Amino acid sequence: MHRRNFLKSSILASTACMVPSFLSHTRPAGSLWSSRSGKVLVVIQLSGGNDGLNTVIPYEDAAYYQLRPTLGIPPGEVLKISELIGFHPALAPLEKLYREGFLSIVNNVGYPNPDRSHFRSMDIWHTASDSSAYWTTGWLGRYLDHACAGKPVYHALEVDDGLSLALKGELSHGFAMSNAQRIQRAAGHRFLQAIDTHPPAGDHNVAYLYKTLRETRQSAQYLYQQSKVHKSSVAYPDSKFATDLRQIAELMTADTDTRIYYVSLGGFDTHAGQLNRQARLLKEYAEGVAAFAEDLQSNRLWEDTLVMTFSEFGRRARQNAGGGTDHGTANNVFLIGGQLRQPGFYNPGPVLSNLPDDDLVFDIDFRSIYAAILDRWLEADAAQILQGRFELVGCI
Amino acid sequence: MICRNMENAQKIQHLYARAGFGLSPVEWSRRRGQSLDEALQDLFSKQNDAGELSVPALVISETTANNNEVLQKERQLVAGIGIDWLHRMADPAGNALLERMCLFWHGHFACDIRIGLPAGQYLNTLRRHALGNFRDIVTAIAREPAMIRYLNNQQNRKERPNENFARELMELFTIGRGHYTEQDVKEAARAFTGWSSDRTGQFIFRRLLHDFDSKTFMGRTGYFDGDDVIHILLEQKQTARFVCQKIYRYFVNEQPDEQRVEAMTEVFFADYDIARLMRYVLESDWFYEERNIGSKIKSPVELTAGILRQLGVRNSQPAALIGIHRALGHVLFHPPNVAGWPGGKSWIDNSTLMMRLQLGAAFCTASDFDFALKTELDEQERRFVRKLEADPDFAPLEALCRQVPEKEHFDVLSSFLLLPDVTRHRSTLEAYAPAGTPQERIRHLTARLMSLPEYQMC
Repeated sequence: MHRRNFLKSSILASTACMVPSFLSHTRPAGSLWSSRSGKVLVVIQLSGGNDGLNTVIPYEDAAYYQLRPTLGIPPGEVLKISELIGFHPALAPLEKLYREGFLSIVNNVGYPNPDRSHFRSMDIWHTASDSSAYWTTGWLGRYLDHACAGKPVYHALEVDDGLSLALKGELSHGFAMSNAQRIQRAAGHRFLQAIDTHPPAGDHNVAYLYKTLRETRQSAQYLYQQSKVHKSSVAYPDSKFATDLRQIAELMTADTDTRIYYVSLGGFDTHAGQLNRQARLLKEYAEGVAAFAEDLQSNRLWEDTLVMTFSEFGRRARQNAGGGTDHGTANNVFLIGGQLRQPGFYNPGPVLSNLPDDDLVFDIDFRSIYAAILDRWLEADAAQILQGRFELVGCI
Repeated sequence: MICRNMENAQKIQHLYARAGFGLSPVEWSRRRGQSLDEALQDLFSKQNDAGELSVPALVISETTANNNEVLQKERQLVAGIGIDWLHRMADPAGNALLERMCLFWHGHFACDIRIGLPAGQYLNTLRRHALGNFRDIVTAIAREPAMIRYLNNQQNRKERPNENFARELMELFTIGRGHYTEQDVKEAARAFTGWSSDRTGQFIFRRLLHDFDSKTFMGRTGYFDGDDVIHILLEQKQTARFVCQKIYRYFVNEQPDEQRVEAMTEVFFADYDIARLMRYVLESDWFYEERNIGSKIKSPVELTAGILRQLGVRNSQPAALIGIHRALGHVLFHPPNVAGWPGGKSWIDNSTLMMRLQLGAAFCTASDFDFALKTELDEQERRFVRKLEADPDFAPLEALCRQVPEKEHFDVLSSFLLLPDVTRHRSTLEAYAPAGTPQERIRHLTARLMSLPEYQMC
């Protein structure tokens, strides 16, 4: 992290111009009640590299339209939130959250020596390593290792068939299930139950497999029961992503013993035909998140919820010849929740006059966001988990 | 029963599970009549036959290095080599020991490769030396374009040495941490300056970038180049010990036994002959000790190669195989880092375990596979795990079973499929195989036996 850049952005961030003016003292405290069991982190991964420059749009910057002669969103379509910037038109539901003071946008997030491979850059975001280091544990996995001894395996739950590296620690893992009913059908199969009545003795590898099997069966059963406790009354849009979020909201409302949820929305690798595709995906994202927020608000869980949305990289500032954009570097990160310390824009957007190789320049290290989440939200030792000290972004 | 000497048969099965990829029904039945010596002789009979793969031509060029379609084509070539290799591992007519050694060396000289030609060259280098001399394999790997790229040695120049390759050579490939100094790394890096690859993907020694001055490495001073550094490293017994530890952990037991490793080190240090070391290990009594049998968790590649071999699957959807490997964390040519795949319990979490338990049954029934891969990182690289389109051949298994009364099918199938004892599950499994023709019951029993956690062990 460039300390100087960080300070610069912090100073800017602390000035009133970065916070929507109507927020200064209008938000009533304690209007949304807390849940019984404490804070929840929801991580949303936009896979493929979301184009941040067409997500939060500098519609007053002529350079933006020069870089994107056909991909630039016309000023008339941008959802303007200041005299300089606005949201992609598909993000109307998100704009509402912004106006309510539930959204904080951190611009130009990245890391030194960015890697343009999806897999590699995603691994870097998952492990929180430097781009030259290859780590085998995830940042949330290490949080489980360090701060969650004795917690059930579903303390961190990924809504997916497979478990992401982010949730794998040295000693502990998160739990993966795409759907409570589905995993209950698989893990709750009578055959598995029958063989689990004869586990092997001892402490060797086979015993470890049986232990994991039992843990999986018990977790599946618990999560399935929990999934039936409460059915949401909020209308979610009809998409897999929204269904995933509804499942999370229902589990949260049922006071499930899970503190971290992880969910992905894929397809953002828009090398060609970006306009339609990104619009469709951003709509899916924003509508899903808005329904999720409404659901949690109506269940008085919103103040205990923090949602972080990230992508493995942003895209090249200059559009390519195929109506799309190629793999880029810095990107924006969204923090959403009922208890943000500093809603609005945390720091100014990218400077389009300074683009080495048409790439945006990062000024906030993504690990500063992780550090703030770990330190302030999960109340853990961020330096130990991230294996280094990072300044905390102030919005959490 | 088919064989009088059960204990001997189990030893042979253990041997082929660890030094190969298990046995097909026909092999299994034939080897049950063999002595251990005969089985060992067979295993080593093709040790000099590298069976090199044909290497694909480069699609990529300097001007297309950022073209996604081209990169995509190259990735598909790499995936194709991986699938080709997997089928060789599974082929009963193939060279099991060689394939197994290559898989070991791929984890040892771990290298992430995204372009077809260097991937093919790298694998052929492993094949040529997998059972040859360790000195030759290290020397060849130091010249391997894929490795030079992966560890940035093309940026290792006299004026600005890049230490990456030199460091990993010592830390991971030869002597191991704690047996060299930071100064040794710096000096070794100097010796490898100018070791590079050209645009056609061949090794090239760039004289102008090489540091010809004198170096002091591990207490010796001279005008060393890379080969001298390797030579000095191999003069250290610790290098033989380091590799033997790794071989012991991979082939024998994850818990190294110091005494055995020391004995191996004596053998290996004499001349670094890999085949001789492997013979020593596989012929020793301790290799067959009970605590070593069925005690390792199969890697995903071992697991799938074993299933293909046992069920005689010749065709299945390549994209599905790669998808399975990806979901289980073991994609050939894509190790997580230069330290290779950590293995053991790290293969297992709740989702990988559930997938593993379903895998054998999915191949048995040639059914679609109920597993959704993580949302795509790269839209152009859609993968379908669901369609296995496998063609299992149950005739050899049925032939095995026909030799015994139906009530003994469980015994035949369980001892064919698994090394650990699972008789305690007998009544459960028999109850779950529905009534039907003997053929149907054989299929069901096979699928269920493959669904046991014990099937994950080798």
